[in-house]
Amino acid sequence: MKELYLCWSFDAHWRCLELEAQRQLDYSKASQPRIPPIPHSKFSPNRPPLVSKVSLRAASNHLSFITILTLSATNGIVLATEKKSSSPLTDPASLSKISLITPNIGMVYAGMGPDYRVLVDKARKVSHTNYKRVYNEYPPTRILVQDVARVMQEATQSGGVRPYGVSLLIAGWDEGILPDEQAAVEGETTEGEKKPTGKTGGILKGGPMLYQVDPSGAYYPWKATAIGKSATSAKTFLEKRYTEGLELEDAVHIALLTLKETIEGEMNGQTIEIGIVGPPADHLLGVEGVEGATGPRFRKLTPQEIEDYLTNM
Amino acid sequence: MVGKDCVAIACDLRLGLQALTVSNNFPKVFQYGDNVFLGLTGLATDVSTVSDLFRYKVNMYRLREERAIAPSTFANLVSSSLYERRFGPYFVSPVVAGLDPKTGAPFICGFDSIGCIDFAKDFIVSGTASEQLFGMCESLWEPNLGPEDLFETISQALLSAVDRDALSGWGAHVYVIEKNKVTKRLLKGRQD
Amino acid sequence: MAIAADTRATSGPIVADKNCEKLHYISPQIWCAGAGTAADTEFTTALISSQLELHSLSTGRKPRVVTCMTLLKQHLFRYQGHIGAYLVVAGVDPTGTHLFTVHAHGSTDKLPYVTMGSGSLAAMSVFESQWKPNCTKEDAMNLCSLAIQAGIFNDLGSGSNVDMAVITADKTTLHRGFVKPNERSQKLKNYKFKRGTTAVLNEKIITKDDIGKYVSVHELEATGEERMDIDP
Repeated sequence: MKELYLCWSFDAHWRCLELEAQRQLDYSKASQPRIPPIPHSKFSPNRPPLVSKVSLRAASNHLSFITILTLSATNGIVLATEKKSSSPLTDPASLSKISLITPNIGMVYAGMGPDYRVLVDKARKVSHTNYKRVYNEYPPTRILVQDVARVMQEATQSGGVRPYGVSLLIAGWDEGILPDEQAAVEGETTEGEKKPTGKTGGILKGGPMLYQVDPSGAYYPWKATAIGKSATSAKTFLEKRYTEGLELEDAVHIALLTLKETIEGEMNGQTIEIGIVGPPADHLLGVEGVEGATGPRFRKLTPQEIEDYLTNM
Repeated sequence: MVGKDCVAIACDLRLGLQALTVSNNFPKVFQYGDNVFLGLTGLATDVSTVSDLFRYKVNMYRLREERAIAPSTFANLVSSSLYERRFGPYFVSPVVAGLDPKTGAPFICGFDSIGCIDFAKDFIVSGTASEQLFGMCESLWEPNLGPEDLFETISQALLSAVDRDALSGWGAHVYVIEKNKVTKRLLKGRQD
Repeated sequence: MAIAADTRATSGPIVADKNCEKLHYISPQIWCAGAGTAADTEFTTALISSQLELHSLSTGRKPRVVTCMTLLKQHLFRYQGHIGAYLVVAGVDPTGTHLFTVHAHGSTDKLPYVTMGSGSLAAMSVFESQWKPNCTKEDAMNLCSLAIQAGIFNDLGSGSNVDMAVITADKTTLHRGFVKPNERSQKLKNYKFKRGTTAVLNEKIITKDDIGKYVSVHELEATGEERMDIDP
């Protein structure tokens, strides 16, 4: 039994590395046939590689069913995704792919829904246990991304588990610690004479932060990116549209345009989901008179708000 | 002690074993960044252990987050670290002083040995002479003292207080922390 | 729902903090007033607040006051009273308004008006003589304020100001320093010392540019006749 165990975990590790590379290639390919689900009871010592193979193929191929894209502006980030349901009988309101992790950080996925739910719970939990209960403040985006990436990496190296079959986009806002004037001055030098008050990110300056996390545990910062189905064409589209010094409203607009290019079917408040990192939403705070309390910067747009953006396109 | 755009933190230099003076050069104020300071009074072995522990924790924070720790964040770190030892505490009463790196606002706070934070707008005292210091600070302190005046006020408060405490004294260190500089002074105090 | 507290923290007979915060945030519409060991009230409420926030995120519902009270009592009972937190839990949730007390050993009470801490007897005397059911928000705030002031003036363990949180179905309003009956009058003269009063043996100025890197140790040596010798 012991040998089997070792063999299995090694295989998972190896598969992960191989398929992570494969996943990158898959971006450029047309959508591949769906892998039939394998009943858990069918797990047998004869087929351990299949289990890991399935999970990782799933991570790569199931991406092909949804498009998630984000765009970071000088004053915020947009996460936009298609909510694809397999049947007209589903209740779209109960389907949710964008989640709040901390008041300033939100997350969205491409891949396997159940794995994502587990990761959302873990991300929320580590943001408290590793950070809020120590420093009495929420973690900066990069720290949370590292914690989530660690969870995902450990699953590639541990025995008895398969890697998480999801890619994540994590968007957040960091407060920064440089004095405001100094941050503004540095913002000016990097951006030319545009927007002296614009924060362009960085843990010292603060501002919007956007990361992608892959099943291997690798993570990348982006200004704008897409994952999932037709991510390549969406990214090409974003490359053309993205400019430095973008405002949040423009970013929402571009995100919707990009989404329109890449998804089939109707776009309305029920079929797409949008999360934004923007100015503090003090009306969502629920308390007043508390010194230093600011509202959450991350929030999901309501179907009505999405409809409003769509009619203005 | 809080001043106008500055803070000061001071300590005496005695290390004693009950009535026996063991050392007259045992500083109790430690620096953890450009303008984050920690004062520790209490059991000397815990003063050393705790100061080293926070040096480790602050260095880890700097490496992990690629930024210096802010005094308020540091205060919460001190608090949670002390409360971790709720039922076997370090016998120390820490004091944190510093300037907020973002706003430049003065920040001071004190703790009990199990990490309850005492946020104060004026001054924090700690140690064997705390009662004397409470009296001195309550009368000498006033708002908006500049760095020079703040130095005189905190020094006189400390010297007068420790002169009425048999267990304290033997010189003092005073730090005045301003936005772009820190001034450290060694005071002449009674040697008895 | 109104919940109030004074702002004095003591260690023995010494007033350790003249304006501390005894109203603890649990969730936007659940607040706790704490008495007993200050660190315990602070950390117990922070821990339960954190647990409730995670619970609320994963269930997608607003946290309930009973949930908060149950988490608190289970936590405190586990520690058999060694965590000295005596709490009043108040809040509004989808099931209505609720008010509880939680004792350090884990027992709880559910009552229309409650008091806790050293000033609880003074405060309760006000409630017992003046409380009426179905009072308005203003009446509730006023009664709470009077109850706390009874403690401030008649109980030595209480003092300084009245803090109050008013929780309604839509939001919570925190009134920090709702009443400040003990403001210190301004000093008419000052004790400012002339510059140079204090004898300085050595001085070292570290500018921010010098620091550059992380520096934690600076030795100061007295020089000349003023030198303080350690042992020869």
